[in-house]
Amino acid sequence: MTIYLVRRLLYAVLTFFGITVATFVLIHSVPGDPISFFIGRTGVTGIPLEVQAAIRHEFHLDEPLPLQYVYWLRGAITFDFGVSIVDRRPVRERIAEKLPATFQLNLVAFLLASSIGIPIGLWSATHSGHLVERASAVGFFLLYSLPSFWVALLLMQWLAVRFDVLPLFGMMSNDYYEMTVWQQFVDRTRHIVLPAITMTYAQLAIMARFTKSTVTEVIREDFITAARAKGAGTTAVLWRHAFRNALMPLITLLGITIPYLISGSVIVEQIFQWDGIGLLYYDAILSRDYPTIMGLTVATAVVTLLASLLADILYAVADPRVRLGERA
Amino acid sequence: VRSRPLIALLLLVCLVACERGETPVAGSSSLPPIDLSKPQDGGTLVRRLNLDISTLNPLALASRYDRYVANYLFTPVVYLDRNLQPIPGLADSWEISDDGLTYRFNLNKNATFSNGRPVRASDVVYTLKKIADPATEAVQAHDAFASLDVAKTRAIDDHTVEVVFRERLAAQLIRFIDVMVIPEDVYSAGDFRKDFITRAVGSGPYTLVRRDVGKEVVLQRRKDYWGERPHIETVIFKVINDHATALNALKQGQLDESIIAADTWQRERNNPQSTRIIDFQRFYTLNYNYIAWNEHNPILKDKRVRRAMSMCIPLDAVVQDLYQGTARAMSGPFTADAWAYNPTVPVVKYDPAGAQALLTAAGWRDTNNDGVLDKDGKPLKFDLIAMTGSATSKQVAQMAQSEMKNVGVQVDIVMMDGSQAIRRLMEGNYDAAYLSWDLDADPDPHAIFHSAQTPGSGGQNFVFYSNPEADRIMEEARHELDPSKRKDLYWRLHEILAEDQPYTWIVQVSAKWGVNKRVQGVASSRGFGFFQWYPGELGWWIAAPQGDTQHPAPASSSAGS
Repeated sequence: MTIYLVRRLLYAVLTFFGITVATFVLIHSVPGDPISFFIGRTGVTGIPLEVQAAIRHEFHLDEPLPLQYVYWLRGAITFDFGVSIVDRRPVRERIAEKLPATFQLNLVAFLLASSIGIPIGLWSATHSGHLVERASAVGFFLLYSLPSFWVALLLMQWLAVRFDVLPLFGMMSNDYYEMTVWQQFVDRTRHIVLPAITMTYAQLAIMARFTKSTVTEVIREDFITAARAKGAGTTAVLWRHAFRNALMPLITLLGITIPYLISGSVIVEQIFQWDGIGLLYYDAILSRDYPTIMGLTVATAVVTLLASLLADILYAVADPRVRLGERA
Repeated sequence: VRSRPLIALLLLVCLVACERGETPVAGSSSLPPIDLSKPQDGGTLVRRLNLDISTLNPLALASRYDRYVANYLFTPVVYLDRNLQPIPGLADSWEISDDGLTYRFNLNKNATFSNGRPVRASDVVYTLKKIADPATEAVQAHDAFASLDVAKTRAIDDHTVEVVFRERLAAQLIRFIDVMVIPEDVYSAGDFRKDFITRAVGSGPYTLVRRDVGKEVVLQRRKDYWGERPHIETVIFKVINDHATALNALKQGQLDESIIAADTWQRERNNPQSTRIIDFQRFYTLNYNYIAWNEHNPILKDKRVRRAMSMCIPLDAVVQDLYQGTARAMSGPFTADAWAYNPTVPVVKYDPAGAQALLTAAGWRDTNNDGVLDKDGKPLKFDLIAMTGSATSKQVAQMAQSEMKNVGVQVDIVMMDGSQAIRRLMEGNYDAAYLSWDLDADPDPHAIFHSAQTPGSGGQNFVFYSNPEADRIMEEARHELDPSKRKDLYWRLHEILAEDQPYTWIVQVSAKWGVNKRVQGVASSRGFGFFQWYPGELGWWIAAPQGDTQHPAPASSSAGS
């Protein structure tokens, strides 16, 4: 088990370096740099050349690329990702202030999707071929293929503009700071509904269909027949035997989903003005804000690697064969 | 059985989520009628920021949104009036020496900063020195104060300041609109570039309640304001990136003003549901679209070729089909509402046959019958850069491409984002580009057409236009303090540039706006639209403001009802 873990950890560290080098090279090879962007945004009214040179020097943009990477890495090791070129605030601070919003929204969406999707998937697995199950499959495929910006605008049009039951955009009302704690909670909840629905519906479809297909596979296996033969009820078979054995693929899905908790969705965040990581990433790329892009890449990479590490560990815990395989 | 807790949870979420706000819906019929002729005090105005501001530091303003907010918090030395002429701001009056080098400003003696301290002449000197210091990165104002004589600029007494320049510039006085005076004691403590991004102390009519980065900026009217107090109590700037969201917010009454995309504006102003609550307005601002021709390209160096290209653009079709008549054709570097505009200069006529003849006269013929003109074995072809993210930019480029193809010119469209395009322009590494300019209140085009103002030397003449007569006129006009003589010079310059066609001028596009009908006193200026002139947005008021006007953060639904 220890060797297995160490090996996984080493892979993770190597992958991490690979990701940062690749991102670093990629963003620096996209045409345009922060200065030309800044000139564009200020309407080309002219930044004195000495100021341009000073800014380039300040952010080491005037040095060779490998050296720039070394500068960046030196800071990154101590969790110092530098300051944003846009407003010179620390990248760490900029990311930290957006993270809760994205995390909140995605967590709600994830919980909703799994708490609705997995039971539906289980039900579908035991009712495979049933008319309602077939219809729901078609329904889920339709749901999955709806573009989220369209759904978002539709939700807005009906629930916010036409019937005015939910807030249109933003994360809180104008008088949020004068509310009681309970009112604040209600206010926040009301604001999260529409973006959460937009984030959830496609995930829900994936969850339901994924659970269905993995459980269906397990149900066909011999030990289920054996369990039934010994007289266990349908529910017991489903939960105690089938679902537990279908956990492996679900762990994989979890490993894939966790990174999404912190990598925001540009479309949903933009339409609902949900001020999170997605918008920050988008702005950072448009403004060629290299330090912020790198900071966000590191954050996403670390969470992704941790999640897959976690999935690997869970595999080993859930299935002894994984551990034994290492020793062989 | 097992799914019951889940259902209960979902129900709870629904209950919480669907609970309506507790503030009563206002605007019921029992309210007394409003006298619209009499401005009313109070209320909350909700404005839009398409992008979050980058700073509250008035000397480091970068975008127009930064400026929108700063205008409430700070006072410039001079304001511009509705015709964009200088009027008193922080300075009550001023005298300019005969040589045009020394400006003496008499400051308003009652002026105070929001921390209660009087505004002193030394604060103005401090602000000017900060602008002149390259380390400040005062990108908007630095150039205009490049010839400031820092050593000779001084406070004569507490309320009089003498500002000395090394070079006489006709546009200098207007540039004092960028001198938003800051209190020296506050801004000299701490890191100037980092510590004033989210805080502000100014002499403007409003103070900062809070800036919530990425979300909103909240301002409140100062009780102790020294000038004419504005009417609106609270101003909230909401960051709304998405146009569709902003339009919905306007329709719902959660937002009081927003710029609106041209096609949406055309559609919504015929929609009775929208016109019930939104006033649709449009106005011309100081900007124009043009095709820039890089004269370092041997083909485009020939002004006959450039003129022929201009003759290929059906400007009437651009105005009517692409802008539904909400734009106007340009004849040269000045917009029709500017005093520098010479009305006798005609717009280049759409004339493909004439263009063909001109190209033939310039030696371009299709000798190898491939449909593309050639000369000395080289085909008449070039790349045209257009901007991604703008539908009309692509449309105009495509229109130019197909029209030019008809006369035997091969145009390849290259789509680029702004950052990339600007880099190519500044390196001179392009053939042609479809671009736009936002102009200053003063029409001086020196930085974009003078032969010495190449990108390498800090200017924006990235077309590398060079005409000794134009150079001479621009230099003279820059220094000429007599307005009528200056006007004559620019009228002549307009003729020369229209003749030389360093650009193919396309259109001046009007800005389209939606404003909630409860907002009164909204007027546009000659070239700056609603904002950045006096009183501008500071003269707005709200019909039937409601609620406790002392409150910095008003009830959420008051903006909506």
